[in-house]
Amino acid sequence: MNEREANLLQTLKMSGRGFHAWVMLLAAIVLWGLFAYVRQLRYGLAETGMRDQISWGLYISNFVFFIGISHAGTLISAILRVTDTDWRRPITRMAEGITVVALCIGGTMVLVDLGRPERALNLLWHPRIQSPIVWDVLSVSTYLAGCLVYFYLPLMPDLGILASHPGIGPVRRRLYRLLSLGWTGSRSDWHWLEKAISVMAVAIIPLAISVHTVVSWIFAMTLRPGWDSSIFGPYFVVGAIYSGAAAVVLAMCILRRVLRLEAYLLPVHFRNLGLLLLSFSLLYLYFNINEYLTVGYKFQSAEKLLLDRLLYGDYAPYFWTVQVVGVALPMLLMMAVLGPKRYRQFTVPGLGLASFLAIVGAWAKRYLIVVPTLSSPFLPIQGVPEKWAHYSPSWVEWSITAAAFAAFLLLYTLLTRVFPVISIWETRPAEQLEEPVAPTSFGPSIWGPAALLPLLLACAILWCAPAARAQSATKNTPAPEPTSLAVSWKALSPAEVPRVEDGRTAQPSSASDRVYLSSRVLPHFLWNPGTPSAHGEPAHSVIEVSARLRDAKGQPLAYQAVGFALKTSLGVLDYGRRPTDDEGKVALVVRDRRYGQYMMDISYQGDEAHPASRSQVQVDFGPRPKPALPESGVLISPTFSPAIGLPFLGFYGSMWCVFAYVIGYLVFFRMRRERKTKS
Amino acid sequence: METTRRGFFQFLARGSGLLLVLGVGLKALGSRIFRDVLPARSVAPTNRKWVMVIDLAKCDGCKDCTKACTKMHFVPPMQEWMKVYEVADNPAAGSYFLPRTCMHCDNPPCVRGCPVGATYKRTDGVVLMDQERCIGCRNCIAQCPYSARFFNWADPPHTAEELKFTYSVEHNYPHRKGVVEKCILCPEMLRMGMLPGCAETCKMGAIFFGDELEDAVTNAKGETMQFSKIAAKGAGFRLMEELGTEPRVYYLPPVNRKYPSPGEKHMHDMGAA
Repeated sequence: MNEREANLLQTLKMSGRGFHAWVMLLAAIVLWGLFAYVRQLRYGLAETGMRDQISWGLYISNFVFFIGISHAGTLISAILRVTDTDWRRPITRMAEGITVVALCIGGTMVLVDLGRPERALNLLWHPRIQSPIVWDVLSVSTYLAGCLVYFYLPLMPDLGILASHPGIGPVRRRLYRLLSLGWTGSRSDWHWLEKAISVMAVAIIPLAISVHTVVSWIFAMTLRPGWDSSIFGPYFVVGAIYSGAAAVVLAMCILRRVLRLEAYLLPVHFRNLGLLLLSFSLLYLYFNINEYLTVGYKFQSAEKLLLDRLLYGDYAPYFWTVQVVGVALPMLLMMAVLGPKRYRQFTVPGLGLASFLAIVGAWAKRYLIVVPTLSSPFLPIQGVPEKWAHYSPSWVEWSITAAAFAAFLLLYTLLTRVFPVISIWETRPAEQLEEPVAPTSFGPSIWGPAALLPLLLACAILWCAPAARAQSATKNTPAPEPTSLAVSWKALSPAEVPRVEDGRTAQPSSASDRVYLSSRVLPHFLWNPGTPSAHGEPAHSVIEVSARLRDAKGQPLAYQAVGFALKTSLGVLDYGRRPTDDEGKVALVVRDRRYGQYMMDISYQGDEAHPASRSQVQVDFGPRPKPALPESGVLISPTFSPAIGLPFLGFYGSMWCVFAYVIGYLVFFRMRRERKTKS
Repeated sequence: METTRRGFFQFLARGSGLLLVLGVGLKALGSRIFRDVLPARSVAPTNRKWVMVIDLAKCDGCKDCTKACTKMHFVPPMQEWMKVYEVADNPAAGSYFLPRTCMHCDNPPCVRGCPVGATYKRTDGVVLMDQERCIGCRNCIAQCPYSARFFNWADPPHTAEELKFTYSVEHNYPHRKGVVEKCILCPEMLRMGMLPGCAETCKMGAIFFGDELEDAVTNAKGETMQFSKIAAKGAGFRLMEELGTEPRVYYLPPVNRKYPSPGEKHMHDMGAA
C-alpha cells in the first residue's frame, strides 16, 4: 500500500468538527421530516397540499427524481465496465453508492405517499400484475437488489485489503473481514469475482433501463393529457441518465474537494464524464422538443389547455426553469468549458455548476410532469375551493422532501465513511493487479426456466372461487282467463318476423359489425377474455303477443283499443294501445333487445256497452346471456392477462435468477470451494 | 468448427424448436397458475347489466341528485359522487348541465390500474370499492378520466346515524381515512328493486335507470322507456367515447331544453339579486 492509498484511507476516519456538524445538521433535518411524517400519519394526507383534483404532488415527483438519480451507477459503472473503459476506475464506486442510496430514498417516497401505509403489504398479498404500481414494486425492488449486489461485488477485494490493513481499528477490521467473505486475493478469487462482476454489469443495464421505463408507465398508462404519450419511456430514461450523470459529476466535484482526492479524480475524468453529460443534455433537449412540438403543433383541446398553462400560464416558471436552467444553461456551460482550449482550466468548477443546474432542472421537471397534468383534467374543475383546484405543497410536504434530500446526503456521507469511496484495487497501477483470466463467458446456467417456477408461484395472484350460477328454467304457461280477453304469445322464428322498416331492426347488426380497436381487437391483450361485447350475446327473440277480445256473449269486439304493457323489474314499459280487427283480434310484435321472463299486461279500458277487462301473460324472451364479464366467479376484476404479466414476471424473474447465480453460485459456492480445495 | 449452410439451418431449426417448446410450456404454466377467478366479495344479485340514461334536455341543474346521494351515503364533505357540471361543447352552443356519476365503465381504467384489486367490477356492471383493501396509492384517481373518484384526505366527520352501520362493500360507510371513495350505484337499493338514489330523487325525470338486458329504463316519475329505442332515436352518447372506456352511463343530448340554460339561470339570479 503506497502513500496515495494511505491518503485514500483517511476518508474512512473522517472525524473533524466539520464532519460532525455536517452529520448533525443532516440528522436534524431528517428528524424534522420524521416529525412531519408522524403528523401526516396522525391527521392523514389532509396535512399535505394534495386534494382530489391534484392527488399526486411532491412525493411522487421526488420518487421519480430519486429513481432518476439512481441511474448514475448503472450508466457510469456498468456501461463503462462492459466496454472496458479505463478511466471509469476511480468513479465507479461513487456512482454505485449514489444508486443504492437514491433507490432507498426513492422507494420510501412512495410509501410516504400512501394513504394507508400500514396496508402496503397488500401489494404482496393481493398484487395485480396489470397495475403499473405493481410493475414499479417489482422493478424497483429488483433494481435495488441488483444494485446492492453490484455495489458489493467490486467492494470485496477492497474489504479484503482493509481487513488486513494495520491502520484500521480491530472492530472495523473484523467487520470488513466478515463482509469480504474471507477474501484471499488468490487467483481463483479474482477469476470468479471478475466473472460475477461481468455478469452483473451485463444484467444491470437492461434492468436499469426497464426501471425508469416502468416508472414512466405509471403516467403513460393513463388517459390524461400530457401523460398519454408513447415517448414517455425513453424520455424518462434519457432524463434519468442525464440527472444521474449530473449527480455523479457533482459528487465527484464535492468529494474531490472535501476528501482531497485530487490524486485520483483527474481533470481527464471530468472531461470524459462531461462529454457524456453534454451528449445526454443534447439528447434530452431533443426529447423535449419532440415531446412538446408534436403536441403544440396540433393543439388538441385537452392538450392545448395544458400546454397553454405550461408555456404562459401558472406553470410557466417551472417550465422555463427546466428548459433554461435544466437544459440550455448547463449545455452552453459545458460546451464552453469542454470545447475551446481557452476555458479548459474551468472544466472542473464549470462542470460542477452545470451538473448542479441540471439536477435542479431535473427536479423541477419531475414536478412539471406530475402536477400540471393532474390539474388539467378532462372535465373542468368546478365547485371546489381555490385551495383544492391549485396545488401548493404544505410545510409537511416540504419538510419531508427536505428530509429525503438530507437522508440521501446523510446515507451517502456515512457510506463514504464506512467504505472506501474510491475503489482501491481498481485504481492500482496495472502491474500490481493480478491479471484477470481472459475469457468471461456465462457459466453453466442453473437459472433455466425451471428456476423461474418459484417466482411465478410466489407471484400467483388469483384464487379460485367456484362459480355458482343457476338458471332457473320455468316453463311459461299462458294462463287463460274466463274473461273476455284471451291472450297468447309465441316467439317468432326469423322467417315469421314481419318485415318492418324500423331503425331498431336495422341498428343491432350494424352495431355489432363495428370494430372497436380498444375492446374487440385487443381484448386479450389488455383485458381478460370475456370483454363485454355484443358478440357473445345470443340473438334476442322476437315475440308476438296476441289477444282476442270478446264480449260477454262471446262475440268478437272489433275496432276497440287494447293496451299492452310489460312489467320490468324497475318500472312498467308501456307499448300503447292497438285496435282490434274485425275478428276482435289484436297482435303486438315485440322486437326489443330483451332477455328473460316478464309479465305482459293486456288491458281493455271498456266503454259504455262493454265493461273493462284485464289479462296477464308471462312472456319469455329467451334466456339471459352469460355475464358480459368473465363467467367464472360471480365477482370479477380484470384478471391476469399473460401478454402483460409474463413479460414482467419473466424479465424481473430472470433478473433475480441472475442475482442468485452471481451471489449464490459464483461467489458463495465456486469461490469458497476452490479456496477449500487449495487449503 | 466449419461453417456450413446446412449447419446454420440446423442451428436455426433447433433454436426455433426450443423457443416453441418454451412458449408452449409457459402458456400451459400460465393458464394453470392464473385462473380468471376471484373470490366473491359481493355477490351480484342476478345476471344483470345495469345501465343509466341521463337526458340532458331535462336536467335543470337543481342538484337534488347530488344532495340525495350525499345524504344517502353520508358522503364526506367536499366530495360529490354525483356532480352536476356546467359545460359547453363550443362557444356558440352555449352551456348545459352535465350530471356526472361514476361511469361504471366496461373497460374501467381504475380497475386496470389498481395494484391490489381493491376496486373491481361486478358481473352486473357495477364498479365497487373495497375500503378494507385499498392502500391509498390514488393511482385510480389518476387513471379516471371522469374525475369520478375521491380520496378521504382526513378522517371524515361521522354522524351517529352513519356509525350505526357496519361496513360492507355495498355501502362504503362508515367512511374512513386514507382510502378512495366513489359512486357505487347504490347496490343495496338495486337489491331491493329500487332505483339508485340520484335517479329516485330527480324531479325532472332526467335520470333513467334500468337493466340493459331488460331493455327498459325507468325514471323517478315512473316513466319506463325502451332503452335501445331512446338511445338510438335520441342519439344517445357516452362521455368521452374516444377514450375507449365503454361507460355504462348514456347521455341524451341537451336539445330543445325546457328550462333555462346555466347562462340564463345565472343572469336570472343576478337580476333577482
